[in-house]
Amino acid sequence: MNQSLSLPLKIVVGILLVLVIAPLVVPVLMSISDTPNIVFPPQGFTLKWYAKVVQNPEAQASFTFSLQLAAVVTLLSLTLGVPAAAGLARYEIPGRGLVLGLMLSPLVVPLIVTGVALLQLFSILGSRATFLQLVIGHTVVCLPYVMRSVTASFVLVNRSLEDAAAVMGAPPHQVALKVIWPQVRPGVLAGAVFAFIVSFDDYPISMWMADGAHFPVPLYMHQMIERSFDPSIAAIAALMIFFALLLVLIIEKVFGISIARLAT
Amino acid sequence: MSAVSQPLAATPGPAALPWRPTGKLTGWMLLAPTLAFLLLCFAWPVLQMMTLSFTAQVVDGNTIKGLTLANYARLFSTDLYFRILARTLRVAASASALSVVLAYPLAIAIARGGPMLSRLVTITVVAPLLVNVVVRSYGWSAILNKSGALNWLLKSAGLAVDPKPLLYTEWAVLIACVHVYLPFMVMPLATAISKIDHSIEEAARIAGASRAAAFFRVLLPLSLPGLSVGVSLVFSLSAAAYVTPQILGGNLSPLLGTLVEQQIISLSDWPFGAAIATLLIVIVLAINLLLLRFFNRRFARWAGGAR
Repeated sequence: MNQSLSLPLKIVVGILLVLVIAPLVVPVLMSISDTPNIVFPPQGFTLKWYAKVVQNPEAQASFTFSLQLAAVVTLLSLTLGVPAAAGLARYEIPGRGLVLGLMLSPLVVPLIVTGVALLQLFSILGSRATFLQLVIGHTVVCLPYVMRSVTASFVLVNRSLEDAAAVMGAPPHQVALKVIWPQVRPGVLAGAVFAFIVSFDDYPISMWMADGAHFPVPLYMHQMIERSFDPSIAAIAALMIFFALLLVLIIEKVFGISIARLAT
Repeated sequence: MSAVSQPLAATPGPAALPWRPTGKLTGWMLLAPTLAFLLLCFAWPVLQMMTLSFTAQVVDGNTIKGLTLANYARLFSTDLYFRILARTLRVAASASALSVVLAYPLAIAIARGGPMLSRLVTITVVAPLLVNVVVRSYGWSAILNKSGALNWLLKSAGLAVDPKPLLYTEWAVLIACVHVYLPFMVMPLATAISKIDHSIEEAARIAGASRAAAFFRVLLPLSLPGLSVGVSLVFSLSAAAYVTPQILGGNLSPLLGTLVEQQIISLSDWPFGAAIATLLIVIVLAINLLLLRFFNRRFARWAGGAR
């Protein structure tokens, strides 16, 4: 299948890859500049902006909060999504298409619209429970990723293996645990990873519900862009870029999940 | 992120085996909590918001209830709002077109390049998706502002003496939207191209087609299913973008997303904000239906000709 690509095409691809990476490299370069203002090209070398960011209590609070929120959202998405995926894939559901359509529709409706609709609901209900609101909002958006990934793996489960195990006398819980679970585990893991990332990175849902005590990282970052002019803002950006690189490594190498699935 | 998903194959097993639960009831019981959650926390609020845009309007700070189209009339007849709507559609359409042009070389490299190149391009294109969109937009603002990387490069190369900043223009919003949503164009395209039998291209080349002709008459028509998925994703995402236009366009080039936020947070005009949000849903559904249904069918003939 492999064909050697023509040289002009290779050059174009090279230039495009540089353009894709450029906006991630520039903040890293600017973050080490030993100047009171943010400049390009950077002058001198210092890591003091990193120290400033890491020691900033607001930055720490946002980071911890985002991690907690993403963890709770991932758990809730799995709790709701895995049984639902099993139901959809393994049982005869009349109107399956309609049900699946509803489950995936949060991917179609613009996030900012979902966010504002939820805000309206919460204000009608008179809810002040910010954390719960954020958990609900994020879960609505993360569920489709879990559903897609887990349903696909349930569909691929080899039914003959279950039959074989049962015929050999395995009770249902053993069949579920020792035959079905190993086959769907990769799908569940991928769903969990994507749910975590989508929640951790969400802006357009959080922006409607967050308050000072519940302030996720993306909102904090945006606030800093508007307020601060020293290279510490570039340092925050650089830290988030390093964090993403670490995630790529963990997802691809440790979990063995292709991150390309995020874009399909 | 796509509206369409592969249809699930119904997998009814041999129902006679007693240990396997097959009842419809069990299936529905597994689905019920999630269905209830999505109906209550997604479908209902969205419908409620759409309803509000037709049943109330704010006049001089007072909410007047009753069936009305006033919010929509205001959206289309006020010059300022109409220009924001036009800009949103223009940015979404240009971002889609530009992504198509940029995505083809990358998708071809992924689908047709050697394993090393294919992996390198895939990782480089997709990895930015894990970087928060605020950070990616900030990266562009660091490149495009007056003392940013681009102007420094232009000055050092002697190409411009006093280059104008691109930041806070529609161009900046467009460039960043293309960058942020490019993976959603490249990956469906790469999937579509990798499904095309390579011997069809080879046959065209052997029969004397130039590389360009082989691309335009074989690869392009046969990759249209991937293209339509990519365009509908990039168009929908750009049209409803909030963060990127906010950081790169500021208050000078807002899109509809910014307008929703202003109306609701700053002005507390819920019915008007709901009308803009409803319009966003309509735009996204329209582009999805148009591309995924109508165009696919029409292009089928063109693509059929290439086979």
